[in-house]
Amino acid sequence: VAKLCVCDLLVAQCDVNCCCDPDCSADDFSLFTTCSVPVVTGDSRLCSQKAAVYSLDVEANPPEMIFKLIDQVNPSIFCIHATNYKQALSFSSPEMPTSENFDRLLEQFGSAAFSAEPDSWNVNTDTPNASDANETHSYQYGVPIQTVDSFLRLPSPVVSSWCSDANPAGFLVNQATRCTRAVSVEKCGDIQALSMLFYINSSILAVSTKQLFVFQVNITVQSVAVQSLNRTRTLLNDSDVLRLPVILDELCLNTVLGVSYHITYTDAGEIIEAAASFVLGAINKAALSIQQSFEISFTQVDTKPVPRSGNPGYVVGLPVRAGFRLQGYPFPGGTLLANANNYSPLTILQSTSEQDCLAAQGARTPVLFGYNMISGCKLRITEAMKCQPLTQTLLDLLKGQSFPEYVASFGNSQAQDVLDWVPITHLHVSEQSDSERIYHIFQSSCQIPVSLEIEVKWTKYGSLVNPQARIVNVTATITTTTVKQLPSGRERTIPVTSSVVFTDISSPAEPGYKAWPTINAKLPFDFFFPFV
Amino acid sequence: LREILNGTSQLSSLPLQILFYVNGIYYIFYFLATLAMIIYKSQAFSYPDEFLAPDLAVLPIMAILEVLRLYLGVKGNLTEEEAPLGLSLAITVSSAILSVYFLVWQTYVLKADVILNAVLLLTYGLESVLKVMAIAAFVS
Repeated sequence: VAKLCVCDLLVAQCDVNCCCDPDCSADDFSLFTTCSVPVVTGDSRLCSQKAAVYSLDVEANPPEMIFKLIDQVNPSIFCIHATNYKQALSFSSPEMPTSENFDRLLEQFGSAAFSAEPDSWNVNTDTPNASDANETHSYQYGVPIQTVDSFLRLPSPVVSSWCSDANPAGFLVNQATRCTRAVSVEKCGDIQALSMLFYINSSILAVSTKQLFVFQVNITVQSVAVQSLNRTRTLLNDSDVLRLPVILDELCLNTVLGVSYHITYTDAGEIIEAAASFVLGAINKAALSIQQSFEISFTQVDTKPVPRSGNPGYVVGLPVRAGFRLQGYPFPGGTLLANANNYSPLTILQSTSEQDCLAAQGARTPVLFGYNMISGCKLRITEAMKCQPLTQTLLDLLKGQSFPEYVASFGNSQAQDVLDWVPITHLHVSEQSDSERIYHIFQSSCQIPVSLEIEVKWTKYGSLVNPQARIVNVTATITTTTVKQLPSGRERTIPVTSSVVFTDISSPAEPGYKAWPTINAKLPFDFFFPFV
Repeated sequence: LREILNGTSQLSSLPLQILFYVNGIYYIFYFLATLAMIIYKSQAFSYPDEFLAPDLAVLPIMAILEVLRLYLGVKGNLTEEEAPLGLSLAITVSSAILSVYFLVWQTYVLKADVILNAVLLLTYGLESVLKVMAIAAFVS
């Protein structure tokens, strides 16, 4: 007790007004006014205990500190005379967790409130434990899909953009992820995640259970596409052959660049079919990492998903649906072909990291309703380029491989209702003044398209309370410009852009007034009774 | 000879009987007080179960022993038999040990505990002495 000093906070220095501080000398005590800690005792419930009393004698000159060690007596008859229990009067230090007592400690301290009686409080955990121990559970939304050894993996970026193989695919959760994988051509056979086998070797359990005998679903290979070094993709005919990575001429072929899982399920929550589509590619020696993309989609058995972009009006953010007219059908009563899946959006050029138009791989992005978009690339014109092929290439680039003819007026327009589809109007604008045009007529000039602008006019349709968006008019304007012949050796760079603009042409609601009240002044029919 | 009351000395010890009577009343008070204090201690101090259980178990055992002891003592003293009195003496020894437990080996020994048990032990000591004298008188 004599050694305890609560106010001694500064090491090797005298704390002010701290009488028990051993660092204070007699000169320091003369500067004090009171003692901040007058008494230091043990537990006051003990019958007799030692107490250290500090006091300052201000009468003496200089003031001095008086220290007394006395026996303090507790007069109550309920004072503690003795204890046989060591930790009775002090805080207990908690148990150190070891492997033996870890489970017990976790049960006692693991939840939000510590329980002294862990077994009696956990009423709720009994029922789920009993039910899922040995029973089969059909999959529910979000439950990880189980395979024979672990879970169906959908590699995804976790903290950085590097792929993590520990991400399980959730049932009925449509996901698309993209991540980076570190590769090296020498070891491409060793990296498991680059071979097809890694993604299809474990079979999926039909239901979520821990039992031994469960119907298993093998993952079949639905299609294999091979992407060459210049990014063109070809679909292979034989998708039964398992293609493993091989090293050939400083390239590693048959590496997995993308996997797309399609899972078919029943309405009871069981998985009955699983198919995977692969995109294989080649990596060259210089590549240190590749980007892999994964997606998973779920379809209910015996249903055909018909994605709508709104019901009935377009929803902002969903793709604008478009289609072609089948050849040979007259316009009224004819049908429109809108791709095999009944899903074909209007697309525009997508800007990529390569700004050169001719090196762009034809990546296109769907036009989303309500989102104005602009994209573009730069075209380098050299002297060696011919006009006509260049024009054709640029038209293909701007419009894409299959530019549609009709756009769906409503989000849920069916292909059979021709009247629900709006034709796309094409306009050509030349980007030069009149004088220039006359000048160029006399010279061989080259008109190349440099910009495609799609203007979508839409209106609000239906009730005032819940208006639905309806596309009324779509105009695609191609702007061409003249390219003069360049002197040899010089280059010119022209920007090529494509854009989509959505304009709301709905007429505002007009105020309507109530009709003037009419005076209904008519005599009752038997007014002139009995004369009429 | 022993049945003649006047003139012949009565062998039953009167002080012992008084002491038994007082002991009975005191023990009832002792039992209630100790029980109340154990309850108080369990609320006021940290008293884990493994320490509370022995203390609570010893008290009823001691009560049963005390009843037995007093009954045997009174019977032996009044019938002037030495056998029950001897048995009572033996039980007194075990009661004394239990009292020492409450005095020294309890988890929390309060000053009141010390006082109560000291008085009880004093009573036991006095009784033992008187019992020995009575047995000596009965035997001879």
